[in-house]
This record gives sequence, structure tokens and C-alpha cells, in this order.
Amino acid sequence: MVHHTGNPIPPIPACAGIGLRSAHHQEVVERRPTVGFFEVHSENFFGAGGPPHRYLERVRAEYPLSLHGVGMSLGSVDPLNNQHLDRLAQLIERYRPGLVSDHLSWCSIGERYFNDLLPMPYTEEALAHVVFRVCQVQEHLGRQILVENVSTYLEFEHSTIPEWEFVAEVAQQSGCGVLLDVNNVYVNAVNHGFDPQTFLRGIPLGAVGEMHLAGHTVNHLDDGKRILIDTHNDLVCDPVWELFRVAVARFGRAPTLIEWDTDLPELDVLLNEAAIAQMILEQSDARVA
Amino acid sequence: MPGLHEVQRAFSRSLLSASAPETGDLVRPNGLTSARRVQVYRNNVFASLTEALRAVYQVVERLVGEGFFRYAAHRFIVGHASRSGNLHRFGREFPQFLTKFDPAAALAYLPDVARLEWASHEVYHAAALPPLDIRRLHTVDSNDYHRLRFRLNPTTRLIDSPYPVLRILEANQNDTGDAATVDLAAGGERVLVMQQDTELKLQRLGAGDYAFLSALGRDCSLGESAAAALDSNRQFDLQSCLIHHVQHHVLVDIVTP
Repeated sequence: MVHHTGNPIPPIPACAGIGLRSAHHQEVVERRPTVGFFEVHSENFFGAGGPPHRYLERVRAEYPLSLHGVGMSLGSVDPLNNQHLDRLAQLIERYRPGLVSDHLSWCSIGERYFNDLLPMPYTEEALAHVVFRVCQVQEHLGRQILVENVSTYLEFEHSTIPEWEFVAEVAQQSGCGVLLDVNNVYVNAVNHGFDPQTFLRGIPLGAVGEMHLAGHTVNHLDDGKRILIDTHNDLVCDPVWELFRVAVARFGRAPTLIEWDTDLPELDVLLNEAAIAQMILEQSDARVA
Repeated sequence: MPGLHEVQRAFSRSLLSASAPETGDLVRPNGLTSARRVQVYRNNVFASLTEALRAVYQVVERLVGEGFFRYAAHRFIVGHASRSGNLHRFGREFPQFLTKFDPAAALAYLPDVARLEWASHEVYHAAALPPLDIRRLHTVDSNDYHRLRFRLNPTTRLIDSPYPVLRILEANQNDTGDAATVDLAAGGERVLVMQQDTELKLQRLGAGDYAFLSALGRDCSLGESAAAALDSNRQFDLQSCLIHHVQHHVLVDIVTP
């Protein structure tokens, strides 16, 4: 399936990285901070040129890069958007990213986009559909992609497969890797009432190609209930750090991203979070040794 | 068991309208009502599309205030589907929407400010063509000059308004601007939006230059464009205007007759 002709792209090191957001472009190219890699939202660079690409070229010259998509709509019943795929292929050609990923969700139907990560029913039909789509995308791009587990705020009555089994099956049957978002595992465990370690145990060893860490928001409802929302607007909370330690112990070191998308803080805040993640990754080495 | 197609259809309808709880039977309540759960998604969808509009139309938001902008954005989102997984494509029709948005009717200049912001947004993400080597003009027979056609750089947009639209923009772009100093009766402005050294630049144009460039942009010949410019400004200096806009990479290609 892989028919790349040029030099092989070096893999992203199993270190901590941060998301690159436009507010930090200038500072990053000037300071060149020590960090394992940068990840960008692919769609933010679907434009043909201008300042975004000028900065990304400079960042790419210095750092490994991961392209993380939010708009492929992998789970949608619409046909795959070929324009979207072609844009992504061009971006891959131009920047030669170490990793390419998108989400186990859908965001469009009837060619209308909601630009949100909408939940899948976990059924045999949905599984077959997603596996087929991931295979199509990998075929089109000529490379493996990673697929990320998403935060959800509801479950469908007719779901018959636990989420972790669904994620594992998508990876197993399509040959994609898993982008394990540890915060999303935690958010779903709280929202739907399962043990997050059950989720981790459901993902096969060797399937995880990257991990994500992020902050979330706790919404307190009128009746004293709460629901966690995956807002990427805060520090990683303690239970998620704990779960990350468990994940690293189970899956070993993997490239790990600090995601922060709204209420973006100073660059140093992201770098501090990445330093904590890096420390946990290295502690796992120490234990192994 | 409902099929995937049915689930996504029903879910998308309930995202757009709070009064369409079609997903009620589909969703496992598990401690919360299914309506409350769908509401989380509805909030997220409107929040991210509103955020996309805010990122482009910052000055419009500043002019009308956050609450008003949120209301306008909500009305716009309901009536205008996003058609791409790339949020940068969303909101092109917002200036047009504002012309018919009654609550904003008192701010007659608002749609033109929005047009200028959308033009800036497009230019920011556009790729420049290589500059035109002015020596190529010397290869053209001078008898054919009037029939030449020029190509504008994809990193340029032309906006004209009966309002001082660039002054309004500048006065509201940062906290140091003082909106009170803009005299709305000061007359219209014509603006060239472009990349310069790959950053965004907005530049006022005289009537002649504007008429000239916009005629070239409509694929008129050099002769026709010069005539249009002279109609707008009897003092229009064709040669200096042409050289200036070639040197500043606004005009980047010639099509010889």
C-alpha cells in the first residue's frame, strides 16, 4: 500500500510535543524552544499560501511535524470528500509529516458540515463502515493514518460494542494506528460511567502510535449532576496525568501531545505541560531499565 | 435497529433545531435526559462556527458588541450551512447576510467592513504568484500595448465603499484605536488588500488607481482599463500607476495579444 518514492520520513520521536497555534507562530520561530515535535490541525493549512505556510515551513525545518485533521468526517455516511483528501495529500507532500491522524467520529452529512466531532453508534454496521473508510483514506494517501478516540456526551441505545473494542477493531481491521487521547478516555469514563483502565486494557499493545493530553471543562448541571466537556482550554488534570502513567506503563513510550485550542495561554504554559509529560515518558524508561 | 444513515440524519436535524428532538429514542439517557445530551453537541456546533466567524470578523464584532455578534452569528449559522471540513471557508456570505439583517440596519457601513475583513481573510491564506519581470513589457510591440491584459496576484483584493471603511477598520483593530474619531461623512474609500513581505497590508487607493486595477481584474485590456481610470480621475498617470503595481507585485503576469 505504501508507495512513497523519496527518502523515508523519519518517525516522530517518542517524546512530548505541543500543538502549534497561530498566536504562537512568531514566538516559536524566534525562540526555537526545546520540544519533541509540533502538531498542527491540517485544515488550518488548507489555504494555498500566506503567513501560515511561511511559519509552518520554518517550524518544519527545525522540528518533526504531525498533521492532525478534524474534518475528514471518517464516520459519515456521505462519500469521502475528495477535495479534502486531495488537499491533505498535497499538505503531506509538502511537509512530509511523521504522523497523520483524524478522529473516530463524523462531522458532516448531506454535504453540510457541523465542524464538530459527532458521536458514532458502536454497531457492526458502523464498524464495517469506518474500517472501509479508513482503508480508503490510507489507500488514497499511500500511508498509515492514526485514528483518535473522541470525547462523547451521549451513547446510542442500539450500540452493541464497547467503545474500546470498537477502537481496537477499527485499528485491527484497517491497519491504522490508534491515537490514544487519554483525556477523552477519562471524559468518557466519567460521562458514561465506566472504568478508564478497562478502556486501556481493551486497546492492543503495539496499536498506539501517539497519545494526546488536554484539559477539559466540568459542566455542573442544575440537578447536581456533571458532564465533562472536551474543551482543550486548561491544564491537564491530575486524574488524567495518573491515567497517562498507566497508559505509558501499558503501551510504552509514544509521541505525546499537549493539546490546547481555546483560551490559549502563553507558550511557556504549554512547554511546562510538555515537560511534565516528557518526565513521565522518561520515568517509564527508567522502570523498564 | 436504526441504520447509520438514519442516525446521522436524525442527529443532524436535532443539531440545527432545539424543537426537533428526533434523537430522543436513539439516545441512552443514563442519568441525563437525551435532550440535554444532544444540547451539548448543539452548543459545541454553534460555538465552533461562531468562533470561526469571530476570528474573521473581529472588527464587526467590536462595532456591534459581543452579545449582538453572537445573535447575528446564530441567525447566520442556521441559514448558511458550512460546506467544508476546513473552517476557514465558512462565513463568506456573512457580509451579504448583514445587508439584510434588520437589527443592524442602523449601521449601514457594517456590511462593507465585513467585506473588507473577508477580503483580508482570503488574502491571508492565498499563495502569491512570482513577480512580473518588467522587462517582459519591452518585448511587446508598442502598437500592441493597449491590447495587453494583466493578471492580478491571487494575494490581492479590491474593495470600495461609500463609507470610510478602512478608517473604521483601523480605528477598531486594537485597543489604541478611537472609533469616535472616524467621521462617517468623510466620504468613501477604495482599498487594496494585499500581502506584502507575506504579511497582510491594506492600502488606500485613489479613484483612478482603483478603477484601473479593478478593470484589469475584470480582464479588461490595458486600453480599456486606462480609459476607465481616466473616467474616474482626469489626472490619472498610467505609466507610474502601472510600474508601481508591477513593482509591488499586484500585477504579476501579462497576456500578450
